[in-house]
Amino acid sequence: MRRYLGWVLPLLSLPVLLLLGYGLTRDTFILPSPLVGNEAPPFRLETFDGDTLGLTDLRGRVVVINFWASWCGPCRVEHPALLNIESLYARDEVALIGIANRDRRVDSERFLAALGGNWTQLIETNNTALDYGVYGLPETFFIDREGRVARKRVGAVVWETARATIDSLLAGPVAEVGDEGSSVPAVDEQGS
Amino acid sequence: MNDWRAACRTVSLLAVGLLWTGAATPAWGQDADSTALDDMTAEVASQLRCPVCRNQSVLESSSAVAREMQRLIRDKLAAGESPEAVTEYFVGKYGEWVLLRPEPSGMNLLIYLLPLAAVVLGAGVLHARVRRWVRAGTISRAGAFPVVAVPSQAVDSVSATENEISGGLTARSARLSAENERWLEEALRE
Repeated sequence: MRRYLGWVLPLLSLPVLLLLGYGLTRDTFILPSPLVGNEAPPFRLETFDGDTLGLTDLRGRVVVINFWASWCGPCRVEHPALLNIESLYARDEVALIGIANRDRRVDSERFLAALGGNWTQLIETNNTALDYGVYGLPETFFIDREGRVARKRVGAVVWETARATIDSLLAGPVAEVGDEGSSVPAVDEQGS
Repeated sequence: MNDWRAACRTVSLLAVGLLWTGAATPAWGQDADSTALDDMTAEVASQLRCPVCRNQSVLESSSAVAREMQRLIRDKLAAGESPEAVTEYFVGKYGEWVLLRPEPSGMNLLIYLLPLAAVVLGAGVLHARVRRWVRAGTISRAGAFPVVAVPSQAVDSVSATENEISGGLTARSARLSAENERWLEEALRE
């Protein structure tokens, strides 16, 4: 029996150690999304200006959908990266869309007035955030010209990676497919 | 006068009773439907993981996203969707991760089989170890008491010690009795 214990115990403890190592080294803010690689959920929402906009209206362009709220700290952190996207890319090539989620309209407008940005802003209704599997804010979806979700960003957008993603999507229909997380975690609601 | 008052009271009570039952009957029907819907919503919500919590179901959590999910579950069930379809919707949006109890298939099988394998393995190791002890004579086949081989010299030594202690106690007891008697006799004399 003792001669078996010499290799059975290490063999049994190996998977446990591997699982422990995996659990300790993974970023818990990165969650797999079944939407990546599939058609983006359609929506038609009201803009801050009172018009309506649907995803189908943007077909043929690379679409960047950013779920945000005025009370969300990481949304403030990522705002300069979104301003960069707006200024660098032509609107007929890249459509940057903000969807204000779990926020009061007046607070959203005050946030934008303070930090700038003229991209289209939509008011979240009809469970659009749940359709996109959003759980915290901010979350950003990069959608290719064909209307498929190419990448999901959880937490604040980082300019360099956002730019690389958009450039690769402009170059082809579906670029590198995957999920990514952020060192600035997403938040659920004010104060959390 | 008293009869008139009693009659008025009876009529009033009847009127109130009729009004109450008339008003309550449809409400009861609605309440029953609403309760069934609430129960179904709770059942589905209890199986889904709150996306922003740590190991909490959508039912248990009071976070904003959990409340939104509960509302959507209820809306979908009220619209006639089955609980399975509603669960499938959330799996399609959040992945299987959203299920608190994942389907026992593929890699998920490990979650269900590993504890069972550990129990079987542990029982096997224990069985082998006990058989080895029985063979070595460390324990009896009945397994209740250990069989310990005691040398005969040790048994003799223990017996001798026991006799010694027993003899000593008897002598001391006899001595004490004699002293007590003497003391009693002196006390009576005085």
